[in-house]
Amino acid sequence: MECIITIELGTNGVRLFAFDLNGNVINSTKASYPTFHSEPDYSEQDPEQIFITMLYVLKNFLIESIHPQRYKVQSICFIASMHSLLAVDAHGAPLGNVITWADNRGKKEALDLKNSQLGTKLYEATGTPIHPMSPLLKILWLKKNDSHRFEQAYKFLTLKSYILHQLTGDYVIDYSLASATGLLNIHTLKWETQALDYAGITVDRLPELCSVFTTPGKLRKEYQTSLGLSANTRIIIGSSDGCMATLGAGVWGDDKATITIEDSGAVRVVGKQILRDDQKRFFNYLLTENYYISGGPTNSGGVIFDWFANQFGEFKGPFDLEYTIETLIHEASNVVAGSEGLLFLPYLLGERAPLWNPNARGSYFGINIKHERKHFIRATIEGILYEIYSIGKMVEEHRSINSLSVNGSFAAIPFCSQLIADIFNKPVSTINKANSAGLGAFLLTATDMGIYRSLDEAAKSVVFHETFRPRHHDHKIYAQYYQLFERLSLKLEAEFEMIAKLQQIQ
Amino acid sequence: MNQFFLHQPHSKELFGFPHILEFAIRKNSTIQLNSLSSITSDCIRIYYVMEGKFEWVIQERHSILYPGDVAVILPGQTFQGENDFLDIGTLFWIHIKVDRVEKNMHLVLGKWSGLSESERLTIGRVLHLSQMPVLVKMKSIQTILQLIQTELFQQQIGYATRVNQLMDELLILIARQSTMQSNLQRDFPQAFVKLEQELRKNLAHQWTVEEMAAMVGLGTTAFTEKVKSYTGFSPLNYLINIRISEAIKLLRKDDVKVTAIALDTGFYSSQHFSTTFKKLTGYTPGEFRKRDSLKD
Repeated sequence: MECIITIELGTNGVRLFAFDLNGNVINSTKASYPTFHSEPDYSEQDPEQIFITMLYVLKNFLIESIHPQRYKVQSICFIASMHSLLAVDAHGAPLGNVITWADNRGKKEALDLKNSQLGTKLYEATGTPIHPMSPLLKILWLKKNDSHRFEQAYKFLTLKSYILHQLTGDYVIDYSLASATGLLNIHTLKWETQALDYAGITVDRLPELCSVFTTPGKLRKEYQTSLGLSANTRIIIGSSDGCMATLGAGVWGDDKATITIEDSGAVRVVGKQILRDDQKRFFNYLLTENYYISGGPTNSGGVIFDWFANQFGEFKGPFDLEYTIETLIHEASNVVAGSEGLLFLPYLLGERAPLWNPNARGSYFGINIKHERKHFIRATIEGILYEIYSIGKMVEEHRSINSLSVNGSFAAIPFCSQLIADIFNKPVSTINKANSAGLGAFLLTATDMGIYRSLDEAAKSVVFHETFRPRHHDHKIYAQYYQLFERLSLKLEAEFEMIAKLQQIQ
Repeated sequence: MNQFFLHQPHSKELFGFPHILEFAIRKNSTIQLNSLSSITSDCIRIYYVMEGKFEWVIQERHSILYPGDVAVILPGQTFQGENDFLDIGTLFWIHIKVDRVEKNMHLVLGKWSGLSESERLTIGRVLHLSQMPVLVKMKSIQTILQLIQTELFQQQIGYATRVNQLMDELLILIARQSTMQSNLQRDFPQAFVKLEQELRKNLAHQWTVEEMAAMVGLGTTAFTEKVKSYTGFSPLNYLINIRISEAIKLLRKDDVKVTAIALDTGFYSSQHFSTTFKKLTGYTPGEFRKRDSLKD
């Protein structure tokens, strides 16, 4: 029997799935690695630690769950989070840590570029919003502030390129992940000269571009031996977590959107055309050479509710966050929609779409003497979801959306899925499998093997698990409060500036 | 509570307890200028507030202590009254001698203590790291201090052993309270990153699960379970992961010898290092080094 393994190098850890050729999950496993914040704006990870963790987990997974069942690993497909940057020397050795998507050190560089004509041009050419997350701005930051590392760098890689180089010896990047670097022209599929010039680098300092279906090279012999894999096991370069989650959510077609909420969140649509926006609020990333994944990302996902739970939840035992969250959700469900007039702006980490303002800050609004703890719980959840809705609304300026598919640990909590249906006033489906990014990678690989004729057909094979119907009564309430939410988020711009400045001094 | 003041070498009650430098209850009813100017402690000082309000600066951190609160000042730390004087109120204190302080706040306590070396190491580290010189609402400290007082004054059968046991208990309670207070035992990822940074700072040390667990304020069983579900690895396997990742970095520097790398990253021997490295990566350290330096 043959199987396909998907490896997702995510923000907090690595997740592995093994699928049989019918798309059934044989087994899965995961392990985590830390993020270091040596300075307030820094967000870094140790590339060796990620590599070793991945290798260790993969080996155990094969030995415990795959080899004993006599599965033959046909392919291994990779998924990684977007926007990471790792400089390596001529021997492929990392120069410092991986800089992750959440790193904000390039704030000033982003602001300078955003306000320039070139910024508009580059946004249109590359599809990547001008934001410190963009590897383009990270490279520029290195050039200005860490010239030694910049000069030493033989290549500028993403984390996935580094891992694949370790495994196969080749420096490669797929169009999909490359389209999130701010350096790739998403229309011509070539590195964008103007972006490279602006970052101060030449093409030879980037990995080789290839399609998401590409097999870069063979697994090095030593890994074949140590993992017990044959030389014929195909390594498939794969795509990014966002693109794979969209494919795996079965959202295909103009009238559908997918909502992912893990720690952070996003609303995405698939299409053959990009979303054009004068205000530069959307991303437009490539899934394949023919399809774009477009939408907007938010910082204010499940991480905000985790914060709330850590501060105000009641803990049964030490560190028992799961129990606390369950209890909080239960309490929230005992409050009516709209939290009796309590509103929450969830910008604890600044915000990306739709405000694109790193200085935005959180706030509770409308507190009156009758509000209790439970109202705050519900308001916090509603605030996070209003923010998702604000991105959805922005997308709807360009596409009409009739149904939604949700995934991610926070959005998949049934209480939240129902609220999304109510707030959007659209039916919401969840997929049968826990992880849509893994499923997306399976569909990609299976299409490559000819099991599906096209990605369209593959996406249509996704089985929806449960559908949440919008409740009109609640929708009417949310619609009223959302107006106020939107007004507040726009009105407070000057005050966000002031408070952020004060907080920086402290 | 009556005042008393025992101190070395004059108080006969402290004969046989050279490690108790001072032991006292003092009721301070008047303010005397310069009665508490800055000093650098050379022993472990534990103060329990019985009455009043004390404003102190410990290691440059300002603290206000109320009845029931405990201040712990470690060797090498500075200590003074906010206004250089001792405030009005009643204090119960003990000063415990340490033989010496080795690196990483390894407190060498002397033969009186029944704590094992690894326990002492953990307690020293925990107190040092928690950056919490003040522990709030610890009535249990007063109880132990009173028991020590009774033992010292009554000198019944076995009192010498009892006093030393109570002092160990004092240190254990303080260490536990300070981990509880320094992380609220809510945000595990945060507590775990803090631990990981400590592990990386001192990778050559032979960390035990007990030590790691103590740093986040959990027992070993709960800690192991939590780490397993959070990271996917047992604590010791997680540690091996960090050791190997560090070793890879060092291997890529051509000037560091494999044996030195092995010891720096916490392996018993280069043999142990090679076996583990090969098992995990498929390469021996030598092969790995050769692979990455051959190119270009």
